[in-house]
Amino acid sequence: MLVSIVFIPIGVVSLFASRDVVEIIDQYETECVPQNFRNDKVSFIQSNANKTCTRRLTVTKLMKKPIYVYYQLDNFYQNHRRYVKSRSDSQLKDNSGWDEVSSCKPEDMSNGQPIVPCGLIAWSLFNDTYNFSLNNQQLAVNKKGISWKSDRDRKFGRNVFPRNFQNGTLIGGKSLDPTVPLSKQEDLIVWMRTAALPTFRKLYGKIEWDLQPNEVIHVTLENNYNTYSFSGKKKLVLSTTSWLGGKNDFLGIAYLTVGGLCFFLALSFTVVYLVKPRRLGDPSYLSWNRNPGGH
Amino acid sequence: MIQEADIGVGISGVEGMQAVMASDFSVAQFRFLERLLVVHGHWCYKRIAQMICYFFYKNIAFGLTLFYFEAFTGFSGQSVYDDWYMLFNVVLTSLPVISLGVLEQDVSSEVCLEFPAIYQQGPRNLFFDWYRILGWMGNGLLASLIIFFLNIVIFYNQAFRIGGQTADMTALGTTMFTCIIWSLNIQIALTMSHFTWIQHATIWGSIVTWYLFLAVYGALSPDISGNAYQILVEALAPAPMYWTTTLLVAITCNLPYMAHIAYQRCLEPMDHHIIQEIKYYRKDVEDQHMWNREQSKGRQKTKIGFTARVEAKIRLLQSKMHKKQ
Repeated sequence: MLVSIVFIPIGVVSLFASRDVVEIIDQYETECVPQNFRNDKVSFIQSNANKTCTRRLTVTKLMKKPIYVYYQLDNFYQNHRRYVKSRSDSQLKDNSGWDEVSSCKPEDMSNGQPIVPCGLIAWSLFNDTYNFSLNNQQLAVNKKGISWKSDRDRKFGRNVFPRNFQNGTLIGGKSLDPTVPLSKQEDLIVWMRTAALPTFRKLYGKIEWDLQPNEVIHVTLENNYNTYSFSGKKKLVLSTTSWLGGKNDFLGIAYLTVGGLCFFLALSFTVVYLVKPRRLGDPSYLSWNRNPGGH
Repeated sequence: MIQEADIGVGISGVEGMQAVMASDFSVAQFRFLERLLVVHGHWCYKRIAQMICYFFYKNIAFGLTLFYFEAFTGFSGQSVYDDWYMLFNVVLTSLPVISLGVLEQDVSSEVCLEFPAIYQQGPRNLFFDWYRILGWMGNGLLASLIIFFLNIVIFYNQAFRIGGQTADMTALGTTMFTCIIWSLNIQIALTMSHFTWIQHATIWGSIVTWYLFLAVYGALSPDISGNAYQILVEALAPAPMYWTTTLLVAITCNLPYMAHIAYQRCLEPMDHHIIQEIKYYRKDVEDQHMWNREQSKGRQKTKIGFTARVEAKIRLLQSKMHKKQ
């Protein structure tokens, strides 16, 4: 009973928090391939064709700033063991470790020189870009502060610069500016925090502007990233947050369910107690009294 | 004869130490045999049975979450937990079981001596039959499912904090492990009947040590802690979702056991439950007559010989008569 009294209010509060979050999701990987390439998307993405695509997003409810922009990838196994292993933390941390690339195979060396940052995780960096405009005015996307502060301060060094990156025959994703140190390459830092599930979102940036209902946002995106080889999906997500986080009704529903179940159990045990009471410590329930003449 | 028996007890004395060297247990005087059997024998049986069942439960609940995760990683063998967590699993969830196995007493030693019939729970194998073993394994299976899937669905792909950050594998693994530690330790607290400071220290100390370990591990340089650097302090502790998930999962995992034990204690109590209640409500002090009567009823006379066979036949006929009524 106590559990249900505690859980049901928590469930209600969590559900309301989740309901307050406004989310716009736009799946674009198929739509952003021109019609004549729809049968062979892989060759389209690998070609030099124009990859610019415009999308329109309609705001359903008031969205207060900051509005978080995520890219969501489906069917992308960032949690595969070989992928997760393929990085070199000592290389990322400090310039002195620039040639410690042994754990990064196959993306360790290119043209006989070590790659900085090495490994499959860095090599596959997401490279779609998004530009937002509202009523023909550019909406600025703040790309600072999207990664964990501890990553920026301690894990990715201020004196480590990309070199020899995406220099091989196969280009896996975004190239990095070799004049910017890794501690400021926030897209890379966010990407290198490998996700737990094959469907995941990563923070792209924040929009510091309120969005009113029924406004239409025009997105100009560069559809560069190849998810077509493995039938992955790409989605652009705009979301607000509440004190609890993003939009997920499950926590609230789970609390309500467990609280309700506890309430039901408490009720049924109370009924049983009233119908068939057992005095505590009643010795007639001892086994030698219940089965007289033998156990 | 001592060697042939299931348990051989030898008495050391004037005839020498030969019996002692051949035996499993040895005592100094014949009168100690009563205590050895009725008190320590009974406790030993209960402790070992409960410890083994709980061990199965604990390892199934922990290990199966690793297996479920493989379905989400393309069966590549990636562990959802950091390597150091699994090392600490040995310490943090095993110390409470050790204290259960060494110190557990379902009834006190005086009661064991007064009610030798309680000892019958051992030979009748009430606490280690297949029903109980499979029940604990099923409990472990259910706990692993609850822990894993609640965590996965709650931390699905949206942000888990007001700052908009999404959970990476380390955050999810740490939360899941926290839920495991809490659920397992609350479960053992529910199982134990006898609490001394040692049990409290191992159970609640394990939980506190887990948080301390996370804080210390997170404070080590990223060379050692990798992605778990500052995971508790920076990422998880300020997130209300972490604490609410832990609370939800810990309580939900223990609900089936609580329902089962509540049902059992209400409707089908076992002997030691009744005696625990009598002792707790001091009914043995109030109603001395009842207490003494039950003690004498709880004793069975000799089991061998002509008299015993006659008495056994009488008991059989009596029980048949009772059933007919």
